[in-house]
Amino acid sequence: MYTLGIDIGSTSSKAVIMRDGKTIVRKVLVTVGTGTSGPAQLIEKLFEDQEIQLSDIQKTIVTGYGRTSFKEADKQISELSCHARGVHFLFPSARTVIDIGGQDAKALKLNSRGMLLNFSMNDKCAAGTGRFLDVMARVLETNIEDMGSLSEQAQAAATISSVCTVFAESEVISHLSKGTGTANIIAGIHRSVAQRVSMLAVKLGIENDVVMTGGVAQNSGVVKAMEEAIKTRIKVSDYPQYTGAIGAAIYAFDEAEKEMTKRCSL
Amino acid sequence: MSNVNEVIAQFQEVVNQPGDHVKKYIAKTGNKAIGYFYYAPQELIHAAGMLPVGIWGGNIEPSSVRSYLPSFYCGILQTAFEMGMKGLYDCLDGMIIPNLCDSLRASSQNWKVAVPQVEFISLVPPVNRKTEAGVKFLLSEYENIKNTLERISGNKITDQALNNSIKVFNTYRQTMREFTKVARNYPDIITPSIRNAVIKSASFMDKVQYTALVEELIQGLKTLPVKDWDGKKVVVTGIKMDSPALLKILEENNVAVVADDLAQESRLFRSDILQTSANPLENLARYWSTMEGCSLLFDPEKKRCDMIIEDVKETGADGVLFCMTKFCDPEEFDYPIFKKRLDAANIPHVFIETDLETETDEQARTRIQAFTEMAAL
Repeated sequence: MYTLGIDIGSTSSKAVIMRDGKTIVRKVLVTVGTGTSGPAQLIEKLFEDQEIQLSDIQKTIVTGYGRTSFKEADKQISELSCHARGVHFLFPSARTVIDIGGQDAKALKLNSRGMLLNFSMNDKCAAGTGRFLDVMARVLETNIEDMGSLSEQAQAAATISSVCTVFAESEVISHLSKGTGTANIIAGIHRSVAQRVSMLAVKLGIENDVVMTGGVAQNSGVVKAMEEAIKTRIKVSDYPQYTGAIGAAIYAFDEAEKEMTKRCSL
Repeated sequence: MSNVNEVIAQFQEVVNQPGDHVKKYIAKTGNKAIGYFYYAPQELIHAAGMLPVGIWGGNIEPSSVRSYLPSFYCGILQTAFEMGMKGLYDCLDGMIIPNLCDSLRASSQNWKVAVPQVEFISLVPPVNRKTEAGVKFLLSEYENIKNTLERISGNKITDQALNNSIKVFNTYRQTMREFTKVARNYPDIITPSIRNAVIKSASFMDKVQYTALVEELIQGLKTLPVKDWDGKKVVVTGIKMDSPALLKILEENNVAVVADDLAQESRLFRSDILQTSANPLENLARYWSTMEGCSLLFDPEKKRCDMIIEDVKETGADGVLFCMTKFCDPEEFDYPIFKKRLDAANIPHVFIETDLETETDEQARTRIQAFTEMAAL
């Protein structure tokens, strides 16, 4: 049985098709999110080679910031529950999740079955999110993808004290004008993100294993800074951006199974 | 059912256009109206033959207010000042501003300059409100307010009139406590928006007329069958939760409000004024010392947490929604204590921060939806 999980975020759209809620058979990412052509592109790309047809999909669940605007799905579930489920699939031993997406950051606490026990989210503020790193990469004339490797060359992380994206940008510019090396500034930016977001996890209480998800988890510099901030090793999957979509596809499988059981008992 | 719907429609009409309702009242009765923030001796206003009008801000973009209040003041004060400066409170003949928090303390002087056409009436409640000196101090504050209200209304506030007003307001409080109990049996009818509309409209209506209407609603509800509720049930706490967008999110997620600990709602009517003295003004002043469970009233024991836990047990609620008014220091100071106590009691809770009114609040939607999906619920 094939089920589809779609995660429409603020800056990207992700989709995962799973077989029997156990195997990922297809995953697609489009770098535009809610309110754009992203969701439509996602569907087009998912089925372009026609190996699996839309009609093969038993159930679709949508999650993410744009979940309420995607009407084709059978159901929508919050990204917090989907991330919890997706992480449990990838790392069954995970109990704490730190997710940094395009415009929000959150910490989740899971039970041994991957169900959400508690959560904590950032305020309505870009600090500590993917958007914050986007702004900083632009100021530093760097590709966001290179920030992780560049930060490894840092000798001493620069201090970025401000919690506000706008003021932090000014601080970065002043570091640049003082001649501080880019690598040191990037390491400082990563530390600033880690310090802010780690507080969400600390508030909940950190329990091992800790997993990082979301696009920012691809940045090894942020992961390292986060490990230092919470003094705990962090696990990252090979595709951290797809965690929400994986969780949605598993929820979709549960729903489809429930329906089948109901139909059989009739 | 049609009668219930008709009564509900009347409350909704009032909260949708509170200013119009107050103006109509003034035109019809010839009586004046006095505004008040949060808690004030409404009975005194009533005894002077005037309409007490609760001020809770509104849906307006703050602009002129920036000259008087910094942007880190709560949305209630920011929007109330903006509305005052735009002339929306010109139908009021006075405004009682109690010094209940740091922001209100500084606002009182600003009001005099920013909204000079609506007379500022000072109220400084005692912090040590449970001591006899505190009661005596508040009594002297009420004497001043009484004199001011007599001057504005042109009516003498007699003991008889004040005793009558205390009776009217105690009946209102008892009726509201019954309403909140009855309403929790009908979450399919008394949705979060309707519950708020019914309770909030008391801020703008004549209490006798209002109480009679709520009584009619209670009797109408009691004739209806109680249905099973397959959604979640929450107790809400905070200063207020009247954002239409937020209330709609609760409804979309099948969440019923079965009890509240809001300053705009139950904190206004959960206890009565006791007749312990022959002097009704002293009874009114002593009431302040008996109010419990509010972040704006000094309470070293923080009974608020126990009261919420009790509400959860009594109503069988699935959890508690802490509706935080952004930049409300008293509520922010209470939150860590609340969190610790509810965690210890194993009661799930979620934190929603509300700012100026917005049409959409996707973060609140995610938080509420995730809360309803949580394993513990």
